[in-house]
Amino acid sequence: MTLTYTILIILWLSLIVYAVLGGADFGGGIWDFFAFGPQAERQRRLIGQALGPVWEANHVWLIFLIVGLFTAFPPAFSVLSIALFVPFTLAVIGIVMRGAAFMFRGQADDATTSRRIWGRVFSTASTITPFFFGAAAAAVASGQVRVQGGVVQTDLLAGWTTPFALTIGALALSLCAVLAAVNLIVEAQNSNEPELVEAFRRRAIIAGAITLALDVVAFILSPFQAPLLWHGALDHALPLIIATALIGLGAAASLLLRRYRLARVLAFTVTAFIFASWGLSQFPYLVPVDVTISNAASPPSTLLALLIGTSIGMALLLPSLWLLFHVFKGKHPALNVQEKAVEPASTQR
Amino acid sequence: MSDLLAARAQMGTSLAFHIIFASLGVGLPLLLCIAEGLALWRKDATWMTLTRRWTKAFALLFAIGAVSGTILSFEIGLLWPTFTKFSGSIIGLPFAMEGFAFFIEAIFLGLYLYGWERLSPRAHWLCSFPLWISGAASAWFIVSANSWMNTPTGFQITHGQVTGINPLQAILNPSTPYETTHMLLAAYVATGFGVAAIYAIQILRGKRESYYRKGLVLAMALGAIAIPFQIFSGDLSARSLADLQPAKLAAMEGVFHTQKGAPIKVGGIVDVKTGQVLYAIEIPDGLSILAHENPNATILGLDAYAPQDRPDPTFVHPSFDGMVGSGFFALLIGGVFWLLYFRRKRVVPENRLLLWGIVLAGPLSFVAIELGWMVTELGRQPWVIYNFLRTQNAVTTAPGLNISFAIFSGIYVVLAITLTVLLLHLARSPLPKQEWPVLVSSSSEERGGPK
Repeated sequence: MTLTYTILIILWLSLIVYAVLGGADFGGGIWDFFAFGPQAERQRRLIGQALGPVWEANHVWLIFLIVGLFTAFPPAFSVLSIALFVPFTLAVIGIVMRGAAFMFRGQADDATTSRRIWGRVFSTASTITPFFFGAAAAAVASGQVRVQGGVVQTDLLAGWTTPFALTIGALALSLCAVLAAVNLIVEAQNSNEPELVEAFRRRAIIAGAITLALDVVAFILSPFQAPLLWHGALDHALPLIIATALIGLGAAASLLLRRYRLARVLAFTVTAFIFASWGLSQFPYLVPVDVTISNAASPPSTLLALLIGTSIGMALLLPSLWLLFHVFKGKHPALNVQEKAVEPASTQR
Repeated sequence: MSDLLAARAQMGTSLAFHIIFASLGVGLPLLLCIAEGLALWRKDATWMTLTRRWTKAFALLFAIGAVSGTILSFEIGLLWPTFTKFSGSIIGLPFAMEGFAFFIEAIFLGLYLYGWERLSPRAHWLCSFPLWISGAASAWFIVSANSWMNTPTGFQITHGQVTGINPLQAILNPSTPYETTHMLLAAYVATGFGVAAIYAIQILRGKRESYYRKGLVLAMALGAIAIPFQIFSGDLSARSLADLQPAKLAAMEGVFHTQKGAPIKVGGIVDVKTGQVLYAIEIPDGLSILAHENPNATILGLDAYAPQDRPDPTFVHPSFDGMVGSGFFALLIGGVFWLLYFRRKRVVPENRLLLWGIVLAGPLSFVAIELGWMVTELGRQPWVIYNFLRTQNAVTTAPGLNISFAIFSGIYVVLAITLTVLLLHLARSPLPKQEWPVLVSSSSEERGGPK
């Protein structure tokens, strides 16, 4: 079982990294959607600059998660694919249109119709994926996906359309917005754009308040709509949940006190804690209550091979990843210059 | 359309779309690496301009490859949940390893694409190595998984349960060496001839700068070096089928009845009802010689299999011939090009007929990849995991697959049109000033930035 849990923890960590980094990228799209007024173009440029070098790498955490689940817990992957066919399909459409539109927009000339249209597609698609992934996650956590004798019992539209699931979908969206905003504040600081720092600080506070409100709604709904999660949380995840709340407060405080780097760290940490709390609350189920971790796990020979493969992969991956973030996310004297590589016709203000 | 057919259509469309970008994702980084290396070595602004142009195109193509690959990773589960349940513990590993290879490709693409000003010229060039290596590695891992579907090994079935799983044996199944080599070479052939076609068009239009000629020469070098190996590997591949998947070989060659001294049938129209290939050119004993090096060798026909276990040769046979024909055409064009090049003392030939041949060989090389996959996949039917799981039993129970198929087809059409427009726009935009200091001076080497 140690092997199974090791693999599960690796996969759950990938989920967390995807939620944090991928979430911030999707959130960038959300803020692109809400960019208006005289600052709009500068905001969009900052968002594009923040996403450009990293979004494809951040996206691969999801791929790793999918193929990892496929390898280590094939029945769970199969059950989720059947029961959550609709939200997963919609989320994939969001992923495709977001990525393609981002590249298309970057290649189109400034102030052309095609650039405007693909910009719209980019921002709209960015909102689709977090919402449906959130709703799908809620369907799982609230025990709506049922299996009997290996056959999925859940209707296509059931589970992820409950008030609880829709609330979690919205929560995922607002959380992405928070992550993106705190990240963009630091990016704006690095680029010496004080006006943008202020703009995204306001946005981070608004999105944070909405996230808090949705949290309260989900909290009230969960005893009725997700009793298993509720009891699991009270039973064995309570300390973690309290810690999550405290870190959330810390993130809000540091944002208000303009300690932006700290705010970014805390916002990322709180997201990690939310996912850790979720995982712990539904332990020992993978898909409550019909698929448990142990009855869905692949045999030890597979898990061991996966662990060895993952170790080799990570040994190559992590240094590469460090290099990527080291090169692009540090302070840099040459402002915005890397934008030229992709947006040749961009005018700088 | 039945749900099974809709699922197969959606999967097929997705694969057919993705493979173009996947192939370029394997081949283009190698071209980038060579071109940038030449630029730095010779301090040659033209090679650097080519590198920069190709990088812009590659950025677009890679992104589309990444998102269309994501569709596929979901579709495996969404469309074929029984397949994933059966095969995950056996063959999931190469998918996970492909995940890492793709990860590294994505990371170094980010560095390569946005790092022109942040990395020293040498560091930037070094980033192209992980790009092409991980590109080739991801192709190898994914194709090994497909090989397993054709010749599944590394497990047993006891009392209806999968037992004795050996993931390494599954990856290294009998088809893996043939399929992976054939696909990797296909990617280099298609990228080479594909890029060459673009510069052949420009030269045909009267562009005479060395930029176009260098682009043509490098691309033709890649394509022409890869194509003879590719034809050789194709021959090995086809031979291996005589042992591993005789039903597929029978479908490829339109062999309906088991026979000694079977001919190779070139072209023709397959008539399943009468069990004939009409209007085909026959090479007597050809197939027996090809498969067993013996003109009297027995070749199993489709009638050696129960009717419900036979692949339908209607499309498999013409697809196979189309692929082989495209390959030999590319070989001819590549051969003539280099023959003329060296006979004329290293001057790029500007014979219009040859240039038109290159223009044709580019798209045909991609067509060959599509047809080759048609042969592999349709030739394996009615099985998704050969002799273990039928395609009809692997499909999802979710309804409305027609709608899903329609939506995704629509997405592919939109992506293809937009991408074509943008790439044409890129190709037509005027060349920048090709002077070494202009291209490289903005690098941080002289400014003393990080790295």
